[in-house]
Amino acid sequence: MTGNAKLFWRLMMRPLAREPVRLGLAVIAVALGVAVVLAIDLAGTAATGSFHSSLETLASNYNLEVTATGGVPEQIVGQLATLPFNFVLSPRMEDVAVVSETKKTVVLLGLDLINEANILQTESRKLETGNPYAGEDLSKGFFADDSIWAGSGLGRKKGQQVSLIVGDREKTFTVRGVYDDKNQPAIIMDIAAAQRALGRTEKVDRILMRVPDGQNVDSWAKQIASILPPGMEVRAVGTSTEENRKMLAAFRWNLKLLSYIALIVGAFLIYNTISVSVVRRRAEIGIARALGANRAEILFAFVGEAAALGIIGAAIGVPLGRIMAAGAVKLMGTTVNALYVSSRPGPIQLGFTSVLTAIAVGIGVAVVAAYAPAREAAQVTPVEAMARGRREFIVRVHKTRDFTIALVLAGAAWASAKAPAVGGKPLFGYFATLLVIAAGTLAIPAAVSTVIRASSRFLKKSGVAALLASRSLLGSLRRTSVLVGALATAVAMMTAVGIMVGSFRITVIQWMEGEVPADFYVRPAGNPSVDRHPTISPELADKFAALPGVEAVDRLRAYEISYDGVPTTIAAADLHGTQKRGRTDFFSGRPSEDVLEELRTGNSVVVSEPFTYKHGVKRGDTISLKLGTSLASFRIADVYYDYGSERGFVLMDRSVMKKYLPDDAPSNLAVYVTNGADPRRVREEIEQAARDYRVLIFSNGDLRHEAIKIFDKTFAITYALEAIAVLVAIMGVAGALLALVIDRKRELGLLRFLGATGAQIRRMILAEAALLGLLANVAGLLLGFALSLILIFVINKQSFGWTIRFHWPVAVLSGAISLIFAATVLAAFYPARIAMRLNPVEVVHEE
Amino acid sequence: MRNRAFCAAFLFATFPMLDVPYRVALPGYRYEFPRDFFAHSSFQTEWWYTTGNVKTPDGRAFGFELTFFRQAVSRDESKHDAWDVKDLYLAHLALSDLDGGRFYQSERVNRTGPGIAGVSAQDGKVWNGNWFALWSKDGTQQLRAQNDDFQFAFSLKSEKLPVIHGENGISQKSEGVGRASHYFSQTRLVTNGTIELKGKRHTVSGLSWMDHEFFTHQLAADQVGWDWFSIQLEDGTELMFFILRRRDGSIDPYSAGTYVDASGKSTHLSAADFSLTPEGAVWKSTATGTTYPIQWRLVVPKLDVALEARTRLPQQELMGGTRLAPSYWEGAVEFTGLRANTSLRGSGYLEMTGYNHPIQLIK
Repeated sequence: MTGNAKLFWRLMMRPLAREPVRLGLAVIAVALGVAVVLAIDLAGTAATGSFHSSLETLASNYNLEVTATGGVPEQIVGQLATLPFNFVLSPRMEDVAVVSETKKTVVLLGLDLINEANILQTESRKLETGNPYAGEDLSKGFFADDSIWAGSGLGRKKGQQVSLIVGDREKTFTVRGVYDDKNQPAIIMDIAAAQRALGRTEKVDRILMRVPDGQNVDSWAKQIASILPPGMEVRAVGTSTEENRKMLAAFRWNLKLLSYIALIVGAFLIYNTISVSVVRRRAEIGIARALGANRAEILFAFVGEAAALGIIGAAIGVPLGRIMAAGAVKLMGTTVNALYVSSRPGPIQLGFTSVLTAIAVGIGVAVVAAYAPAREAAQVTPVEAMARGRREFIVRVHKTRDFTIALVLAGAAWASAKAPAVGGKPLFGYFATLLVIAAGTLAIPAAVSTVIRASSRFLKKSGVAALLASRSLLGSLRRTSVLVGALATAVAMMTAVGIMVGSFRITVIQWMEGEVPADFYVRPAGNPSVDRHPTISPELADKFAALPGVEAVDRLRAYEISYDGVPTTIAAADLHGTQKRGRTDFFSGRPSEDVLEELRTGNSVVVSEPFTYKHGVKRGDTISLKLGTSLASFRIADVYYDYGSERGFVLMDRSVMKKYLPDDAPSNLAVYVTNGADPRRVREEIEQAARDYRVLIFSNGDLRHEAIKIFDKTFAITYALEAIAVLVAIMGVAGALLALVIDRKRELGLLRFLGATGAQIRRMILAEAALLGLLANVAGLLLGFALSLILIFVINKQSFGWTIRFHWPVAVLSGAISLIFAATVLAAFYPARIAMRLNPVEVVHEE
Repeated sequence: MRNRAFCAAFLFATFPMLDVPYRVALPGYRYEFPRDFFAHSSFQTEWWYTTGNVKTPDGRAFGFELTFFRQAVSRDESKHDAWDVKDLYLAHLALSDLDGGRFYQSERVNRTGPGIAGVSAQDGKVWNGNWFALWSKDGTQQLRAQNDDFQFAFSLKSEKLPVIHGENGISQKSEGVGRASHYFSQTRLVTNGTIELKGKRHTVSGLSWMDHEFFTHQLAADQVGWDWFSIQLEDGTELMFFILRRRDGSIDPYSAGTYVDASGKSTHLSAADFSLTPEGAVWKSTATGTTYPIQWRLVVPKLDVALEARTRLPQQELMGGTRLAPSYWEGAVEFTGLRANTSLRGSGYLEMTGYNHPIQLIK
């Protein structure tokens, strides 16, 4: 062993073994922090990593795709097939079906099964896969409308019947064959049967192409686009996956940053632990220094201690993170599906880089947090350290200086919050939050001493335990400040996110008042989602409209488009009923009727707030949309608030849309009941009229309830992260109080010697915890309020483009804060018990 | 006959044959051109078959083949969307690089779909994807096709009127009413164009032969394969023969041929009028293990003709890449021999089927 290592071992590692609980807490804090960071990283990749994965897997041999809003006119297939180029073409119908029995959603793929023989010809020469039709009885029902080929993942056998819900229809299909789907459950049909099943004849959803090997895909894309009508989109396969990834970047980024809160709180804890170590080993430091250890060695020893904690924490954190990722991926998947794009989470892959990053971050945070106390330890002179009778470490607290710096930082935070986004990311917004936290932390010593001093009169009245407790806290102001700072940071983050989510929730509820005016909403049972819009048979809307007691039926038709490289939803609606009863809030403040009238008469659209934010457009601008075969220009008549989805939304009148896409099938229906009619009776009528269709009928209340349920689900992961951060902070308080007790053995022993009872001692310790908790909660609330403003008006706005109106979620916040306060006090019971059990004689004898 | 029926027959053996009565080939059919260049949808099977021998100015020789098949699958009136399968289109493309010693081939199958394959009298076009034959008003025909290895573009101009095979408008293939086809050929098509092989362009000229045949169920169950010859002789005459081989190894008496004189006048030749026998060289395919006789002796006493058929490229075997069609041999051949003691040369194409497996026919 070298001298350094020996010193490190004697000075640092041996004493560690004597305090397993306190060190255990520090290690767990690091472990939790590392675990959360890793879990969010892994879950983020898994939850957002695969979009329509089955479809993409089934498209893997192609490098170009042709798409169009509302489908590619099928003549384009013939046009491309006859071009004098050696393309391989695969026209496709692509959608999903719900297996009636299991309610599982599977990809439904319509292929030109005749043409597939050509494609297999080239593949089979390479792969020798053999004749895929061998053994199939092609003569019986090969082209029948009920023929399907099931992926092996579906667990169906050849000849079995499967009932599927496609759009608003349920039909029985016969499995003609089973193919190996490599765990991407899908159903294949012939394209003719698929078109009819989906109600989309004369269109194909996508044409996949393989251009000759080794040639530039982009130049081919340009050449093909120049031949096709302007509404067609020709691009490299995988572009949409890339676009989806881009769309999700902000979401993932914000979640990732949120995951670091627990680690930051953990850093406070490490700081505190190392500070205690320094205090505790003051004498040893002195001896070591007197015996020739230099400052660097002392610094190294303490930083090394932190690093050791970091390594152990990270080692526990990595497997823990892998376990937590499984839960996180579910929560994140819900959010992604509700707000962005339908996707199936991929497998969680614990990559080397992720693990290494997590470990580096864990150790890094520990080392950085330990640096300040370690440096202080190094600066102690041997004489000072070994001086008799000065066991307490007089920490130099420059509370006035710190407070001044805090004020400067707060000012910087203010300025930073005003700065615009950088590359679509609210970098300055995040910087502002860091500044606010730093300012808060620096202001805490001043605040703590002021508050305690100011309240000493009141505390005196509360009894000697409280007074002693306050004196003790004031006596070790620095340590108190660190503890209050750690807990306050956690509370602040929780408060801030709580305020933001609460404000958001209330904003959404108020918004729905105007946006959801109809009595009933109808949608197909065939799994609609944020980026998929199955349709309802057009005649059903007419049937509803003819029912007694129905005043009006509004039809809404939505399509998926890619606007400026960003996935966007475009929809057309009748807006008759909405005009009468709804009150959509527009940016201009104009009444809905005026805006809707404008939509009906001109080539105008309204767009959602996130759309304007994503594309940098405003009211009065002109946008070009690819609709059907045309590229059409529209004026933005107005902008409306939309909290339904984070994707951009373009809305136009149905009569305008039908000029470009003359498809009558609606995606959703809104049914308005005549004044005075019994809604229950009308619902029964509607259900009766829809008995042959598979549609879901929601009452107004149902819809709102469902919307809020989804909203809450999407923020579940945020709450989970907050909870972990708070847990770490409370553990920190417990650990710190424990340290306090052990440090003040002498003092506590004296108190006992002087006649204090065990109960009094316990009360004193609990009072300290209560004071700490109270201070931290108040400081956290104040800080949290400041942070929430940044979150709502800077970070959210710059990341997602939502206008959230500020609300105090009083119930949630007061509940959470009381809980934290109670937990802090409860956490003090263990140290209090230890303090009570100290043997005064033994303690004083030690003196 | 151009009994390429086997391809279609084999392919479509597995597809549904509805009980919808398709029209059968009956005596007395009156041909009319250009109408009969195009589709006859009431018959179940139809093909357009062009083969040719061409050379570059410096003498490099190529053989080519471009075939379009149409097979009716359904005549279900209730289905009228573009993707509904009424007819299937199969096509074969081959290039024989006779001097380079290489054989290139492709196969494709398509439904009519939204313009993917089909026949249009209006546009004068028969096509399958980007392979097509296009007739212009003046009767010339454009032929274009390509695959990953090569592409060609030919202009074909007929020196003779279409020749109708068989007797009374039908080419009988086996015993029974309707067991026949309507079958005509353009036997001397002067061909000019370009072949681009492996990035190199060749200007070529030569002679092509086009067959067009349409029918419903023409073969009998014991007919296992056939050998077909097209012969373009240097004296301006042409010969066509097919022999139908039966399961027991004998030659079917419905085997037949046609002689076309220099003026375009045709004479029907029955099985008794000629003999065609494999003689000498055989070639065994390493890919399919099938052995083909690639040298034949032809004697037509009636015309005082005796010819020897040989090929410069033994490996002209087409393998069903889609695995829906069987393998067969079809390639450029050369003829040398005597006519009334005068030496005679010619070129043409030879097709040999059923050597791999007996052709299974549908009922």
